Amino acid sequence: MDDLEFDGLELDELSFRRKIFADPKSRDEDIAHAKKSAPKKQQLARELEQLDDKITQALNVPVPDHLYEKLILRQTMQDHQQQKRKKRVHLAMAASIAVAFGVLLNSFLFTSAYSTLGEHAIAHVEHENISNQGTTFVSLATLNEKLADFNGALEGISSATVSKLLAAEFCWFDGMKSLHLVFQGENSPITVLVVPDNEQLKFTANFSNNNLHGKAQQVKAAGINLIVVGDKSENTDSIQESLSKNIRWQA
Amino acid sequence: MMTKQIRYEALVKALHTDLYRYAYWLCHEKQIAEDLVQETFLRAWRALDSLKDEKAAKSWLITILRRENARRFERKRFDMSEYEEENISDHISSSTEQELETHWLRAKMAQLSEEYREPLVLQVIGGFSGEEIAAILSLNKNTVMTRLFRARNQLKDILVATPEEKRGINNG
Repeated sequence: MDDLEFDGLELDELSFRRKIFADPKSRDEDIAHAKKSAPKKQQLARELEQLDDKITQALNVPVPDHLYEKLILRQTMQDHQQQKRKKRVHLAMAASIAVAFGVLLNSFLFTSAYSTLGEHAIAHVEHENISNQGTTFVSLATLNEKLADFNGALEGISSATVSKLLAAEFCWFDGMKSLHLVFQGENSPITVLVVPDNEQLKFTANFSNNNLHGKAQQVKAAGINLIVVGDKSENTDSIQESLSKNIRWQA
Repeated sequence: MMTKQIRYEALVKALHTDLYRYAYWLCHEKQIAEDLVQETFLRAWRALDSLKDEKAAKSWLITILRRENARRFERKRFDMSEYEEENISDHISSSTEQELETHWLRAKMAQLSEEYREPLVLQVIGGFSGEEIAAILSLNKNTVMTRLFRARNQLKDILVATPEEKRGINNG
């Protein structure tokens, strides 16, 4: 049993048996050598290989019909559900963001709907909520304080007119800081708006809708528009005349 | 994603048979085995990006399946009465010698202790090496080899009986 190629220890009966039982297909050198050198070992190895064929056959139980198709179907369905859920989440998020933005940027949305100065003025006044039967009135001093922001000052006006000033507040008109004045009218308030010049809004001298009418006047030197808006039944002209005559504008 | 779908389908095609059979020998019930395989492949789909090497796919799937099985309930000791009847008793009268032997061997396989059967199933169905089996089962390699030896030793003793003796065991 001369074997010049093999350097390892000859596997004894027990060791060979353990190895071949644990792995009949083993390609280990010592196994191969042992098989070559001992016919009994080779015989045992063959028997184990036969046993393994039978074991393989026994372990290979039948697989359910169409298992592959079922697996793919289930996965694509689940994937579809996940995509739908993601889309729903995206939509919900988009909707809530839109609402939030809508609340925050209401004025912006508001603006874009109006293209002329007059339209915007009317819309602006319609959202006003000041009673014609005010109990407090704004002083001339207060008015001039605010008018100063627009380089204007009211002087020499009849006290009768001034005594009818119900409110004088800053407001946002098409994104621009403007002055919003409310005078007591015959039956309903008359609004005067001091609005900086705006290229985006088309200037209209006369405008009206169902209930309101108004006039606008450009004061180019001061870069402002003087707008008067009131109920159709009100005479807005006298206020407008009085103001435009008596406000001194600085360039 | 197209690529992920193609990759997944290739994996399922190549491995679902072995995985089912492995699952079957794990739980002994066809329906549960199928459910386990379904769950395993669904998880595999979700985690597919984490599989970097296709060669590791089989052991990866088996690991997932074993985890899924562990989740089901505590392992019960195999009881002959739980074994599906049809696998043993059907076609007995008209079967060939080989079919008889297969039926019979399956019964004996099911009777093997779980700790011996599992490494054997992994080796024969999975084609895993001793080291790979050790990694999957979290055992050392020597333990695995010993259990493989014992499994085959038990089965070989059974098959040593001649065909006539085997028939006697079935009908007697």
